[in-house]
Amino acid sequence: MHEGAIAQSVVDILRDIKDQNGLLSITSATLKVGAVSGVMIDALEFAFEAIKKEESFIKDATLNIINVNVKARCNICNKIYEFDNTDDLIMICPDCQMPLTIINGKELEIVDVEGG
Amino acid sequence: MKRIVVEKKILEKNDDIANQIKNLLDKNRIFGLNVMSSPGAGKTTLIEQTVEALKPQYKIAAIDGDLDTQRDAQRIAALGIEAIQINTSGTCHLDSSMVQKALDHISLDLDLLIIENVGNLVCPASFYLGTHKNAVLISTPEGDDKVKKYPTMFNVADVVLINKMDIAKFVNFDVKKVENEIKELNPNATIFKISALKNEGLRPFLDWIQTNINLVKNQ
Ligand SMILES: [Zn+2]
Repeated sequence: MHEGAIAQSVVDILRDIKDQNGLLSITSATLKVGAVSGVMIDALEFAFEAIKKEESFIKDATLNIINVNVKARCNICNKIYEFDNTDDLIMICPDCQMPLTIINGKELEIVDVEGG
Repeated sequence: MKRIVVEKKILEKNDDIANQIKNLLDKNRIFGLNVMSSPGAGKTTLIEQTVEALKPQYKIAAIDGDLDTQRDAQRIAALGIEAIQINTSGTCHLDSSMVQKALDHISLDLDLLIIENVGNLVCPASFYLGTHKNAVLISTPEGDDKVKKYPTMFNVADVVLINKMDIAKFVNFDVKKVENEIKELNPNATIFKISALKNEGLRPFLDWIQTNINLVKNQ
């Protein structure tokens, strides 16, 4: 359950943004979570809800989570492969038989924030 | 209401400290290895055998992450090297700030720093610690479905060690299937098949460590 630590990092960043921008509260935050970031979205939302109860500046905040599928590129033929499901991940180019490089899917980012 | 574009990594602080650790290791020419596995896979035994084999030639220290005991660090320290225990008090992973604090207590006159992460195939994968390489250990009694279940962990692995090979056939562990799944998910990972408790099959892994120690020395 490292999502507790991740949610705490989100709240710390939100607090910095609130202070830097002279806001009183944060009402929403948009996150990008990649399919191989190692983060379970349910657990992250659960942990965020728990912290919300103790931090008044985010008491009405909602998280919008953008799931990012794994995308990988072949360095030889430059073809890009997208995987809807991590069960299907095959990091080898079917044409060139060479390892693919992951270009999306590891994201763990705050994209934007709304507040007032 | 105001919308603010942020575009910031959630674990940026962890990564910043990890990069400081990486610089410290590079500056002192120490090869850093992060060892991850599920509980009971044989991580401490693997590290004991590794230290035993390499200590005549190299200066080694270990940092052990453990939920609540001092036992692992004591086992490693019994081999006559410096071993620091990080008591994570319930946290399921090591983060870079814990490692940075532990490094304050270690002499950096070293060739090899081994970090024994908390036993867990999920959480440690998300936290970069500044080590040069990640080793992931699985053991045959855990079952042969681990690779598909924990893609993130196998994706960050530089080497995967399959432990307890001596009993693979008794626990119906399909080695070929697991090897194929690792290669599909992470074609760049090197696979070693070992029996740590019997000290069998470790030579290629030890050679891999030596190669990396030399790479860091000569970089
Ligand atoms: Zn290709």
